[in-house]
Formats: sequence, structure tokens, C-alpha cells
Amino acid sequence: MRRMTAVVETEGLTKFYGKRRGLEDLTLEIRPGEVFGYLGPNGAGKTTTIRLLLDVIRPTRGSVRVLGVDPREAGIRSRIGYLPGELALEGRERASEYLRFLAGVRGGVAKGRIELLAERLEADLSVKMGQLSKGNKQKVGLIQAFMHDPEFLILDEPTSGLDPLVQQEFLSMVREARTAGRTVLMSSHVLAEVEHVSDRVGIVRGGRLVAVEDVAALREKAVRRVELHFDAPVPEEAFRDLPGVRDLKVEGASVHCTIDGRPDALIKAAARFTVVHMVSAEPDLEEIFLTYYSEDVHHAHVGA
Amino acid sequence: MPMLVRKTLRDYRRALIGWTIGICVFTGLYTSFFPQMRENPDFYNQAALAKYPDSVRKLMGGLENISTGTGFLQAVVYQLFVPLLFIMCAVMLGNKAIAAPEEAGTLELTVTLPVDRKRLVLERFAALALGLLVVAVASLAVVVVLGSAVGLGVPFGRILAAHTGLYLLVLFFGTVALTVGAATGRKALAMSVAGGYAVAGYVVNAMSADVEVMRWLNNLSPFHYYSEGNPLVNGLQVGDDLVLLAAAAVLALTAVLSFDRRDVGV
Ligand SMILES: Nc1ncnc2c1ncn2[C@@H]1O[C@H](COP(=O)(O)OP(=O)(O)O)[C@@H](O)[C@H]1O
Ligand SMILES: [Mg+2]
Repeated sequence: MRRMTAVVETEGLTKFYGKRRGLEDLTLEIRPGEVFGYLGPNGAGKTTTIRLLLDVIRPTRGSVRVLGVDPREAGIRSRIGYLPGELALEGRERASEYLRFLAGVRGGVAKGRIELLAERLEADLSVKMGQLSKGNKQKVGLIQAFMHDPEFLILDEPTSGLDPLVQQEFLSMVREARTAGRTVLMSSHVLAEVEHVSDRVGIVRGGRLVAVEDVAALREKAVRRVELHFDAPVPEEAFRDLPGVRDLKVEGASVHCTIDGRPDALIKAAARFTVVHMVSAEPDLEEIFLTYYSEDVHHAHVGA
Repeated sequence: MPMLVRKTLRDYRRALIGWTIGICVFTGLYTSFFPQMRENPDFYNQAALAKYPDSVRKLMGGLENISTGTGFLQAVVYQLFVPLLFIMCAVMLGNKAIAAPEEAGTLELTVTLPVDRKRLVLERFAALALGLLVVAVASLAVVVVLGSAVGLGVPFGRILAAHTGLYLLVLFFGTVALTVGAATGRKALAMSVAGGYAVAGYVVNAMSADVEVMRWLNNLSPFHYYSEGNPLVNGLQVGDDLVLLAAAAVLALTAVLSFDRRDVGV
């Protein structure tokens, strides 16, 4: 069987705005059915990448294919849902009318779909677009991106301006899209916003892709703080020199340590005693990313 | 009607209503002065001669014979103020096609719709042409109805011919704005190119009778093709009208091709 075509395939994709670098030499593949988190600080090149995928801007060099074709083919865009990073909505038109117009151009949406999404996000669509608050604009933007149930969702900083409850609702919409086999590319400058829904994360900085990581693998590699409490004091020897266990501190009936990667050895060692309580902090992926960032900063300084 | 044309017209609606009312009121007021003019032909002729120095009168198209229906209509409606107002309307609508939404940021979502960029510009151009046609038809009706009420005595066919020229003239300038906007995305630039061209074109045309260089330059002035055949007297000027129409078509084509090639919103 032939390999399924990548949803996004870029090679050496480069964009300069005059002399200013927007993106340089991006080679990236986004696979069908995955949620790809695209991370980077402001000015990293996220929006530039996304606009190249949608043919809003044209590459300086390099190649890009979206859903198997050149993004200049207008027809494929009915299979894409796009939320711009700086969404502008204006005028006296009501949000609902504008959504109907967009739906019509994209070939229609399922009946009741717009209303359903509006209800989930608690968006009032009877408001004139020029009078929408920032948060409500973002909601209208999300509705138009999701409403035609596109194969590929491209969301540029989707959570900006949303309050936490709506953010949760949005994340569950992304998970549903993924379950339905859709592909999602979402950008953010904070890892915490994408880490729980992303399968893979790409990190871009200064116009260059510095890493692409599998989130599950990262999590496995991540350093994690663990506390174990037992019903009676435990001997330190039982936990000493376990693979992956560091910063061990045994105090009476409790054990504190950090683990690198899998907790397997620690769990097996602990199983010989009676565990009454266990605390395992979420791995702090942010820290890992910060090391990518700072390494890059470091290189930049060395280079300069 | 194609969806984007309809949507663009919907976006134009308020502006269109405003301009239509403005231009019709203006046209109607001027047309309704005719009875006074006819009662006191000498007074107004003298006043016009005395009021404006020679050069200004030339700029205003001579102001001769303003006591006849045709002369009056030419001077007060078709010569200067109505075309000027109508051109302003056209340039503003032309700017709303690409440059204004691009500067506002709303064009980004539009270009990511499954619509070819070429078609987007063409449909916006079609909406511009239709919108201006609405204003033209409404103001034509005002001239015809009020004109017959005040006894202008100018045949409908002549008024229609003059209005056709007027429509093509403003379509041309609206298309200039649309094209500069489509090529550059800059609203202020589009406005000043179209406005500057209109003013220069008008002045060149008015002075071409006396100044040799201007006569040659006048070939580039849309006002030359608008006024030389005097359609109010001579009827439809097919050749001149076609020049204006062809120029607008060439500009629209330029708009389509240049917008298709460039980055949007940078
Ligand atoms: N229209 C533009 N003109 C000039 N430079 C731009 C333009 N858009 C973006 N840039 C530059 O390109 C780089 C990447 O920007 P962008 O893609 O917007 O980053 P991000 O979305 O990650 O914040 C930045 O240095 C930015 O200043
Ligand atoms: Mg951005």
C-alpha cells in the first residue's frame, strides 16, 4: 500500500520580507490525523509559516504542499479551516450573517452546526462584527474554522483572548476533531496551551525550526518529582542506585526523588513495602523547552 | 449573482445609499434652479460672466448658454460638480474592493476561502461596476424626471448619452483606485493616485483649448473622452465611451494579474 500523503510537506521553505527574515529553510512534515503543536516566542516565524501554507504570502524559496497539492490551488481551501493569528472582523454585519457567507463559499455546512458551536463556546452571534469584544471575535474565528468540519485545521494562536473555561471547551473541540481523524496544526507561544492535545510539537525560533519532538516520548524522558509514603520507616539501601532515580532522600517512612524517564525501577522497589500515599508531579515539559530556547540563545550569542 | 459580488454589494450598501442620496440631492437641486435661470437669462449670464474670471470660467466649461436647457444641464450637472462628487464615490468604493479590507486585516480570511485570487478581484470589480450603476441610474432618473418637471426640454436620449459617458468616466476612476489597491494594498496611495489623476485630467482637459502641450497631454485625460463629443448635444459617443470602457477593462485586468502575484497583508 502507498504511504498516506502528508497533510503538510515543506522543503527548504523560506520567506524573507525584503531583507527581514520571516522563516528560513523549514523542512517539515505533518501527518494525517495528528495534532501538531507549533511553538515559539513572538516573532519566531509561526504566522509566516501558516500564511505560506494558506498562500496568503508566497515563499522566497523552497517548496510547500498542503493536502498533497500546491496551496495556490484555491479548491483545496474548502477542506481547510483557518483561524488567523490577528483576526480582524469589522462592519455592521452580524456575526451570524458573516458565518453564513463563509459557509456558502466553502460549499455549505451541516444544519445546526454553527448554532451548536456557538452554544459550546458561548458566543453571541447576533452582535454586529464591529462591536464584538476581543474574546468574542476569537470565538467567531473558531466557529468559522471548525464549522465545515474540515480535514485540516490551521489555528494560529487559537487560545489568545479566551477565558479558561472557553479554552477547555476549545481543547475538547480539538480532541474531537482528532478523534474524527482530522489533522490539526496549532501555534502558540506557551507550551502549556498545546501540550495536552498535541501528538508532536515543533519548536521554531528566530525563523528556524530547532526541534520536532513526540510529546509522549518527551514525557517519558522528562524529569519528574516523586514522593512515596510508607506505613513504616524504610531502609535507604532499598532505593539506592536504582536506574533513573536521582536526588534520593529517605526520611523515615517517606522517600523523595526525581526520576528520569520510566518510573519502573522505583515502583518495583517500592512494591516490597506498604505504600500508603504517592505523589507524582506532572513532568515539566516547559523546562525541557526552555533548554531548547536557551541553547539556541546561547548559540546565537556565540555566533554574534 | 456570484456570492462574492453579492457579499461585496452588501458591504457597499450603506456607502452606496449615502452616495446615491448625496449625488441625487445635489443633481436635483441644481436641475431645479432652471426656471429661475430661464426667467432671467440676461441676469444669470451677466452674473456668470462677471463673477468668474476668464480662466476660471474655462475651468468650469465656459458657462455659455446657460439659459438653454442643454447649456444649463451641461454647466450645472455634467460639467464639474456632479462628476467630481461621483468620482469621489467611485474612488472610495474602488478602495473598498482590496486596499481598505487589506489594511483593516479582513482580507486575510477572504483570500483563504476556496476562491481563486483572480476571481476575487474580478468579482469585486463587478460589484464596483454594479454599485456605480445603481448611483448612475438613480441620478439619471432624477435628471430626467426633474428635468421634464422644470421644462428643460432636453430629449431623454441625449440625457442618457451624457449619463453613459458619466458612468464610464467614474467607473474608470473607481477602477484606478481598485487597481492601485490591488497592486499595492495601500489605501492612501490608491486614493491619491486616483484623485490626482482626476484633478490633473480635468485641468489638462479644460486648458487644452488654449495651451499646445495640454492638447497633446489631453489624450491621456479621461475628461477628454468624456466631454469632447458633447453627448448632450450630439447623442451617444460610441468611440469615446469605448475608450473609457477599454481603459477600465485594461486596468481591471492589471488588477487581477498583479493581485494574483503578490503577498497579502504584509
Ligand atoms: N509583513 C512583515 N514585514 C516585515 N517583517 C515581517 C512581516 N511579518 C513578519 N515579519 C517578521 O518575520 C518574523 C516572523 O514573524 P511572525 O511569523 O509573525 O512570527 P510569530 O507569528 O511567530 O510571532 C519576525 O521577525 C517579524 O518581525
Ligand atoms: Mg504570530
